[in-house]
Amino acid sequence: MKTRIKEFRARHNLTQEKLAEIVGVRRETIIFLEQGKYNPSLKLAYSVAKTLKTTVEELFFFNDD
Amino acid sequence: MKTKRVLLAFSIIVVILVIILISLRAYYVTVALVVGALIMSYREIWSLIRKRKLPPIDERVRENTSKAIRNGFIFFAMASAFLMLPFTVFLTEAPSTVHVLGGLFLSGGAVYLLSYIFYDRVEPRLNERRLKMIKTFLLIAGISLAAFIISVFLHNAISGLFGLEEPVFFFIAVFITPLAFAVGLIGSLVIFVKGLLSKTV
Repeated sequence: MKTRIKEFRARHNLTQEKLAEIVGVRRETIIFLEQGKYNPSLKLAYSVAKTLKTTVEELFFFNDD
Repeated sequence: MKTKRVLLAFSIIVVILVIILISLRAYYVTVALVVGALIMSYREIWSLIRKRKLPPIDERVRENTSKAIRNGFIFFAMASAFLMLPFTVFLTEAPSTVHVLGGLFLSGGAVYLLSYIFYDRVEPRLNERRLKMIKTFLLIAGISLAAFIISVFLHNAISGLFGLEEPVFFFIAVFITPLAFAVGLIGSLVIFVKGLLSKTV
């Protein structure tokens, strides 16, 4: 899984800590999400997408192979 | 740790255990316990110092905690088996405190191992009320185990300090806590096995 959280976060001038605070998770969770090392729940994915004013499809994408 | 109260309770338990261990001159175990407690709670302590509030328990933390608990179950079961190994080799005539403690530890280990192996199968088959009951029974077993250890320590400490045969903690350690432990253990096992054998998912 790959994400564009970092890119969108930079666009909105948000730090990892600030984003974590808004969506109610720990900063480490945002780090794991950005690195694609953690599969979030639909609720968290939606919450992050909403905060970054985008959609879940825009934010997360999967390699089929 | 979810709230400041839980962190406070955890810290108090660690301090009590440290005092007990130091009184038993088990210094290495004390160091291991303190280091373990610090590793377990350093994020909370750091967050309290920096932001004056605890970090949120998000879904990733919850998943990791559940994995840690499961790994703890395996460790607990293995440690119990190793602890009980000498008692299977040397036959003893009268059960001592060590045997009773070992027995309690082994029973707890067996329950935790069973929970670890089968909990995923059991959980969906139990309704909210049963799940609450199983948690309550396990809590009773856990608390009685802790109460047993504390009562034994207090009984010995009071008897040693004042030179009298202390009856209250003796009664709690010998009669009440084993009974409560048995109730907690059997209650949780009964619900667990019921869930395991139930066909409705």
